[in-house]
Amino acid sequence: MENLSYLFAAYTVIFAVIFFYVLFLWRRQARLDEELRSLESGLRMVREELAERGATRSQASR
Amino acid sequence: MGAFVAILRKDLRLELRGGESTITLVALSLLILVVMVFALNPAGGARDAGTAAGALWVALIFSGTLGATRVLAAESGNGCLRALLLSPADRATLYCAKMLAAFIFMAVAEVAAVVIMVLFFNLEFDARLARLAPVLALGSLGFAGLATLLAAISGRVRAGDLLLPLLAVPLFVPALIAGVKASGAALAGEPISAFAEWLKILVAFDVLFLSAGYLLFEHVIGED
Amino acid sequence: MNRNAIDSLGLVTLVLMVAALFMVFVYVPTEAVQGIVQRIFYFHVPCAWVAFAAFALVAISGIFYLWLGQQVWDDLGYAAAETGMIFCTLVLVTGSIWARPIWGAWWTWDSRLTTTLILWLLYGGYLMLRAMADDTPQIARFAAVVGIVAAADVPIIIISVRLWRTIHPAVLVTRQGSHGLEDPRMVATLLVSMAAFTALFVWLLMLRFVTLRTRTRLNFLAGELGRTRAAVGDL
Repeated sequence: MENLSYLFAAYTVIFAVIFFYVLFLWRRQARLDEELRSLESGLRMVREELAERGATRSQASR
Repeated sequence: MGAFVAILRKDLRLELRGGESTITLVALSLLILVVMVFALNPAGGARDAGTAAGALWVALIFSGTLGATRVLAAESGNGCLRALLLSPADRATLYCAKMLAAFIFMAVAEVAAVVIMVLFFNLEFDARLARLAPVLALGSLGFAGLATLLAAISGRVRAGDLLLPLLAVPLFVPALIAGVKASGAALAGEPISAFAEWLKILVAFDVLFLSAGYLLFEHVIGED
Repeated sequence: MNRNAIDSLGLVTLVLMVAALFMVFVYVPTEAVQGIVQRIFYFHVPCAWVAFAAFALVAISGIFYLWLGQQVWDDLGYAAAETGMIFCTLVLVTGSIWARPIWGAWWTWDSRLTTTLILWLLYGGYLMLRAMADDTPQIARFAAVVGIVAAADVPIIIISVRLWRTIHPAVLVTRQGSHGLEDPRMVATLLVSMAAFTALFVWLLMLRFVTLRTRTRLNFLAGELGRTRAAVGDL
């Protein structure tokens, strides 16, 4: 029955689209998470440096 | 009120002096109508009232898009926009003035377009055009209201002149459907009662978009 | 929303989807007139409901964003628009696949499909605006305005398209089958399908929303980093 192929086509399209969208989201999220981690660690390092420099400064000025 | 009149006067006077906008709109409408005749190959005459109406509205939309862009682009450069924003006129008043200016430009271009349409499509210069007038007026008012709001957005975005029709046309669909149907009926000689339903839709559309523009314009105009 | 909640939602979606699939392919009887192809309906209609609901969400987020100015509303609106676009596309594609064996044409201008097409174009315009510009508050405001105006337009679109279709002689017959479900099993299947697709929508929405929130946080931290570096430089 060829109408069955139409039914199959419709459902396949639905699942394919959803699958690929989820895949796209997953990849995007993984990349963003990595960027976030590196940015957060970079920020931590710079903040530590700021604290250190600030501490040495105030020591030197006493 | 004073601010509204002042801004409107300024735009109209600019146009009267330079005159490029209106002439360009008329020229564009003429070209579009020519293209439509080649594209649709109408037989002409009252039987083709529907086709003529359709062609007219295509011209209306695309010249309207251009008109709205021009009206807002007039303020870019020379710090004109900042001056306007710093003035005591509020954003909603600015919207009303700009919208009305765009409407007036469209209306002038449309008069020319109707004349050209009558000639190209082999129609008559008779009372039917009087019934056509309110349809065109309502449609242009709605389009001016819609396009002025959107042009403020598209003016500040990359490739904005592509974005404007992309946004404006789907939003305009109900007025387009109603306008074409009502215009076709008017040109075919039907009485206003025959297309009253479509006129109601046009009125509803205008009310919606003019209020939306009035309320939302402050969010889209302005510098960063 | 934390990641565990989203994962649970994904699980719920899966369960509902399996249930819906079972009902569509095993439980529900075949419709008399259209035959087996009619089963597309049970996924086609929920997609349409989601597409319209998502659009309302875009507009509501827009209103909150303009009113409160909080970035979270803009992120929600953008997520809703993208997710809604997916489902809107599915409505059109499944509608087309359904139309072909029934009416012999790949597309019919019946009032519901036409309205959905316009909705699709509105989604497209919104997403193009977002794609063409950067992540600034100004663009967020623009997008909010577009979303609000478009959603307000939808009722008028529905009315005008319906009027357009009724006046047109029925060369292209209006699709039936959405109402007039005689068998209660059909109604049940449709309801379960609706639930499954609603869950799916919310799950995808949350996934997209989280990526946008991450992006917002990234932008914020990048700014922080710049400021802190400048402060170090000042010392």
